[in-house]
Amino acid sequence: MSLKPKIINVGIADIKVGKDTEVLRTTLGSCIGIVLYDAERKIGAISHIMLAKDPTGKDCIKFPHKYGETALPELINMMKDAGSNLGQYTCRMFGGASMFKGINSQFLQNIGEQNIAIVRRFMEEKNVPIIVEDVAGNEGRTISLYCDDGRVLLKKAGMEKYLYKVR
Amino acid sequence: MLKSKVDEVLKDINKLPAISSVVTKVLEKLQKPDVNIAELAQEISKDPAITASVIKLSNSAYYRASKPIRTVGEALMTLGTKTVKEIVLLTAAKGILSQDLSSYQLEAAQLWTSSLLVAELSSKIVQHKKLKIDKDLAFTSGLLCNVGKIVLSQFFAPVMMQLKADLKENKDPFPLLEKKYFGYTHMEVSQTLLQKWNFPPELVDVVTNYLDPESSSVNPLLTSVVHIATILIVVSGIGIDIGGESVPISPFALSQTGITESDIETYFVHIPDLQAGLADLLNI
Repeated sequence: MSLKPKIINVGIADIKVGKDTEVLRTTLGSCIGIVLYDAERKIGAISHIMLAKDPTGKDCIKFPHKYGETALPELINMMKDAGSNLGQYTCRMFGGASMFKGINSQFLQNIGEQNIAIVRRFMEEKNVPIIVEDVAGNEGRTISLYCDDGRVLLKKAGMEKYLYKVR
Repeated sequence: MLKSKVDEVLKDINKLPAISSVVTKVLEKLQKPDVNIAELAQEISKDPAITASVIKLSNSAYYRASKPIRTVGEALMTLGTKTVKEIVLLTAAKGILSQDLSSYQLEAAQLWTSSLLVAELSSKIVQHKKLKIDKDLAFTSGLLCNVGKIVLSQFFAPVMMQLKADLKENKDPFPLLEKKYFGYTHMEVSQTLLQKWNFPPELVDVVTNYLDPESSSVNPLLTSVVHIATILIVVSGIGIDIGGESVPISPFALSQTGITESDIETYFVHIPDLQAGLADLLNI
């Protein structure tokens, strides 16, 4: 008997952890989806961050999952609570789109790039290898992490493909 | 070119998304300054689904009525005609927009969620910038901009391979590809639909020009507000579809509204809070 996988939607500025047959799904524009996956324990997580840093320094207290600087440590903690420690998982990163031309907002132009940079820096500090990156461009992306084997279904610009690399 | 097939569908009312006649009549009645509340209540009550929705939403946390509401008449008296109009349109829009558009790469209620967020953000922008536009009008104007995609989505299959190749090569705004393959942009289809539904010219103008507010002839300020709200919701990923972030923000819209770089940042950062506040409306 095959069980229908449970799909957990990861909203904007949200973190969700899943395991075994669960599927985590999120849709990204300029935001970044950070996928952590522990292949031994079949535990995965997605963090959907909006901005690298909180420009006000206050909003991140109420909404820590919005910003890379507060969401990423929280992501590591949530993996730990689920039973997976640093060194036991890898990272994959998606999103960070930006508009190509006629941009009249420096802010909108830079969001994607800054989001990508903070994830790279954080993962390097924590020695978590980033094994797959599908970032930048101007495409929207929907990613689904299948926690049973760690594959990611990536949908963008009318195409879809499975990415099987988990180590 | 699939234009002749799209034309066939656009000519056949049975193949187009339908809207309750009550919605059109309510919009018509509210165009007149001397609207009769009792007549309006009677009109709304002809549609049981809309009536139920008006009463349910009038009592929701989102609208915060000062006392419990049991009838459409009480809703009109307590919340006012503009708010009830908003609820009526909202209910009708939900019926049309609650579907997956997999060819546009929009699934799991994304179309409805993003439409609602564009509406809400448009309303917030009007209030924040103190623009001379009714906030309820801004809300309803933002709601139906994507309705044309429902019609075009059924024509993707035969051209999907070419379309994908074009998307890789071409970085032009996606509506240009819609025009190339289907003979119409989704804005042109939305325009046809709203005209068929006898919607007010102001709303027709917004759905026609929301990605090019400079072309707006009826209310360029309102169209500019909806344009900026749309771009921000797309960038957040909630409303992003196969076209990606291919439509840049319009300098005309920025100058019309007086929206600054700092405003854009503030609106963007608060999108999740906006979404949380819409829980009652998302689940109607």
